[in-house]
Amino acid sequence: MSDSTAFLARIRQAAEQGRQYRVHLQPFDDQIGYLGAGDDLVERFAAEVNAVGGQAFVVPDLEAARKQLSDLLTQAPAASAVCWQHSLLDRLGLGELLPAAGVELIDHQRLANMPEVEHRNKLLACNVGITSCDCAIAETGTLMMCSRLGHERVASLLPPTHIAIVEQPQIVPDLLDAIAKLAHRGVESLPSNVTFITGPSKTGDIELQLTTGVHGPGKWLVIVIAGANNGG
Amino acid sequence: MTDYLRETHHEFLAASREALADARLQQILGQLGDTLGRRNREAWAALPNSDLIRERARSIKDATLADLDKHLAKLEETVTARGGHVHWADDGLEACRVIVDLIRRREATKVVKSKSMTTEEIHLNHALEAAGIEAVETDLGEYIIQLARHRPSHIVAPAIHLSAQQIAEILSKPAGKRLPAERETLAQFARQALRQKFAQAEVGISGANFAIAETGSIVLVTNEGNGRLTCALPKCHIAIMGIEKVIPRLADLPYFLKVLARAATGQKLSIYTQIITGPRRPGELDGPEEFHLVILDNGRSRILGSPLRESLFCIRCGACLNACPIYRSVGGHAYGGVYAGPIGAVLTPLYDGLSANHHLPHASSLCGACQAACPVKIQIPEMLIRLREQLHHEPEQRSRLESLAYRFWAWMLKRPRLYQISTWLASRTFGRLKRGDPWVRRLPGKLHGWTQRRDFPAPAAERFRDWWNKEGRDE
Repeated sequence: MSDSTAFLARIRQAAEQGRQYRVHLQPFDDQIGYLGAGDDLVERFAAEVNAVGGQAFVVPDLEAARKQLSDLLTQAPAASAVCWQHSLLDRLGLGELLPAAGVELIDHQRLANMPEVEHRNKLLACNVGITSCDCAIAETGTLMMCSRLGHERVASLLPPTHIAIVEQPQIVPDLLDAIAKLAHRGVESLPSNVTFITGPSKTGDIELQLTTGVHGPGKWLVIVIAGANNGG
Repeated sequence: MTDYLRETHHEFLAASREALADARLQQILGQLGDTLGRRNREAWAALPNSDLIRERARSIKDATLADLDKHLAKLEETVTARGGHVHWADDGLEACRVIVDLIRRREATKVVKSKSMTTEEIHLNHALEAAGIEAVETDLGEYIIQLARHRPSHIVAPAIHLSAQQIAEILSKPAGKRLPAERETLAQFARQALRQKFAQAEVGISGANFAIAETGSIVLVTNEGNGRLTCALPKCHIAIMGIEKVIPRLADLPYFLKVLARAATGQKLSIYTQIITGPRRPGELDGPEEFHLVILDNGRSRILGSPLRESLFCIRCGACLNACPIYRSVGGHAYGGVYAGPIGAVLTPLYDGLSANHHLPHASSLCGACQAACPVKIQIPEMLIRLREQLHHEPEQRSRLESLAYRFWAWMLKRPRLYQISTWLASRTFGRLKRGDPWVRRLPGKLHGWTQRRDFPAPAAERFRDWWNKEGRDE
């Protein structure tokens, strides 16, 4: 490996020499690049999710979200689901809803107590991943997912179907808002992984035609609860 | 610097002729302008202030490069603080050695790779193979060309030179049965086959689209999800990046993300954008336990101090390829290097040697479509002209006759009387002779070198000066 001092000294010399060829020095207005998403964030978010090849289901409250989720699990059809541990999913009552629908619930707690090989096999066999998100972006139809205990990255990655449940207060207008949220938590302590998901897994590698579900979930379903924190 | 490339240098003209005669390739290339190219143009049109957002991204790159050493030092500090390890590599050979050592230290033999142009640049797969390590490319296009042992022909669509039929034939081998030329079936086969590889892999290798100095993160942008699998399942993640990939702040990132996907594929954002900060934290059940970042120079610092420093702004989106009439005629393989198209015509001579790639700066009509498509507005035509000028100073390229001709030309242009006489003579002789045909297709003697692949504009029968004296003045 090269010595970092010598390496950086070479870069410093080149960077200084290169300054005579600088191209841009004008300052920019803070608003340049901010696009926003209009007044109705729920409507815009749902429209963008559909536009990128996902399916959005806008429901008025938690009760309707439960019904919607049950329907989607029946349609999938799902035998086992890897799930986040998240307050919104708790309020939804995932712990009762899944067994009632005949779906095995696999979450952090269960995974942590399994030997590694079994844990890996369980995950690979799941038909569905159920998550919420850390925030949703209306302008692009994006979910921001931060990894931490109970927020496994694989839940939105390994199964062929990913179902996310989002409620209205989680939606921000623009990518810049989502990044600002992250920065606000402290640039010194980002989670080990932050993933922005904008659609089902896609490839254009065969004759430039879009094909879905090559590595990640081919089905990307988002239930959007329009009413804010209305108990349920 | 590594001889990144080949023992024998590539002949652009011969390869171009071959590409032009390949009907299948011509058909696929013909679709580029209407698919990726059109999506890119529509994306700029639909993005309010797209011009200023691109300027902004450009100015961030410019400012970062001016203090690149400081940002890299900061990056080393923050990556280390988050539990990762930084390795510096002067050239490709050294980067390969570092990566092979890291893999050997874990006694690993199975590696999965997410698409990375930088690993192509340093020929990492060869080095891994030579060390007895199985490295599987997992991006669908890269997987296909790895099986076929081709080089990538496009920065974002590496297998663009292959038809579904050809891809079906290539994938039929590992499948052990004949696969139909249906996209869905082929993609499903790749998903199944590569899942096995992911489940077994001990190390994941990726590139980095960006690295953020203040947070100690790398950013990976993909559409398929293989990039996520590469750094979620294996116990060890090794990322490699060129020195120019660093940006100072997290707040700088969204401007690049907004322009990158629009330029590459016409999406507002790519499907998966990951910000990866160190290994998994205690208690987490997925993500690597070990994170390494290899930072590569390989000739970049030489470019950083040169007038062509702007080529380091490139974020590898491929938009200039889709926009370029030359690329759309000859395809990626004709360029010979790892990077094709207009930006490849700049980068390959810079990394691999100007004289050895003397055709590349000329493989452009200088129409400017590349610059118009570029998300960071790199002045590619201007750089190509500069390279053409530098070519004249290369000992192997220098021609006494040509220098003499240009010196005579310059001498004459500085003498108005002489210049007037010569244009008068030209219009009276060649001009009158060629009336009705504005092009000279073959210049005499040695001058024919110029007309071999282009036409020479014939002098007009009447000079502008004469027309102006007669009619223009009164208007």
